[in-house]
Amino acid sequence: MIIAAYVFMVLGGLFLALGGFGVFRMPDVLNRIQAGTKATTLGAFSLALGVGLANPDWLVKIILIIVFIAVTNPVGSSVLARAAYKAGEARFEKTAPEGKEGDSNECV
Amino acid sequence: MKKFISLLLIACLGAFIFISLYFPGGGTLAFPYYGDVDLNGRVSQAYIDKSVNGPNDVVVYGESTDEESGSANMVTSIVVDYRSFDTLGEVTVLLVSTLGVGILLGGKRKRLEYKHAPNFILKHGARLTFGLLVVFGVYMFAHGHLTPGGGFPGGSIIAAAILLLYLADDEFRVKLAGIKIAEGTAGSLYVIIGLAGLATGGYFLYNFLPNGTVGKLFSAGIIPIVYALIGLKVGSEISGAIDGFATEEVAE
Repeated sequence: MIIAAYVFMVLGGLFLALGGFGVFRMPDVLNRIQAGTKATTLGAFSLALGVGLANPDWLVKIILIIVFIAVTNPVGSSVLARAAYKAGEARFEKTAPEGKEGDSNECV
Repeated sequence: MKKFISLLLIACLGAFIFISLYFPGGGTLAFPYYGDVDLNGRVSQAYIDKSVNGPNDVVVYGESTDEESGSANMVTSIVVDYRSFDTLGEVTVLLVSTLGVGILLGGKRKRLEYKHAPNFILKHGARLTFGLLVVFGVYMFAHGHLTPGGGFPGGSIIAAAILLLYLADDEFRVKLAGIKIAEGTAGSLYVIIGLAGLATGGYFLYNFLPNGTVGKLFSAGIIPIVYALIGLKVGSEISGAIDGFATEEVAE
């Protein structure tokens, strides 16, 4: 149990570090948002789960926290990305969606 | 030059705090290390032992029964039991300030129009989060006598949940009549509990219910009831103020 907890904690820390590195390294806002969101959501999940396995008394609260992160983090990032898209921020030209065929943004 | 002077000032302030804490006149520490404090003969010792009038026996968590204030959280037993009248004043201050907001921003109002309407994801995500946040706020003031927390933070968390719905949904409005009823009922019940204490125990806000075991959910007499009332009152007051700020006057 405790070994699984440590494994989850290390994995979570690794994903969080990778997410921070992605935010630092990616070229424009939308790329940074997707690097930050996916990696930090997974990292926070595993970190919280590791803490919950190490202290089984807290497991119910930890699961609630995980549900909360699962709802809030993607929604917040999607809203940020939508605002950035609507504000027309500077775009890295290799990943910009405008030039591609069949790419519609009506749902934004 | 400005930066240099401000850095110098901060360094002087830091040195002043360090010196005054660690090198006072007599050569002894003015600020004892953690765990080295001798509380015998101090007022705080009496509060920690929860028995100001009787002999100061040490309270055991989960075992001691019928202490003077049965709250496991020392801050709560001071704020809502020994100094409860002061808390009533604080709630009144909040009431008066939200009353000012209501007078300034009253009348017939409609929601502010957003430049970009919120989309499906944001609206439904905010509704999902709203339930979780309200449950967390209720947990906060229901456990106010056991863990850190209480009526004011719990009510503020509930009001923050309402603010989230206001920001995420451009059509949402709370029912102001319901808010007024909740606020008035909670405030009046607080005073009525105080008067009941005056009638039974001899002074205002006397803790007249049985105290139970320290550390249990149903313990500490009137403290959980008062904290639930404070949470309801603070939450509804701040929600009413938020409604005032998120709306605009309808031109007649």
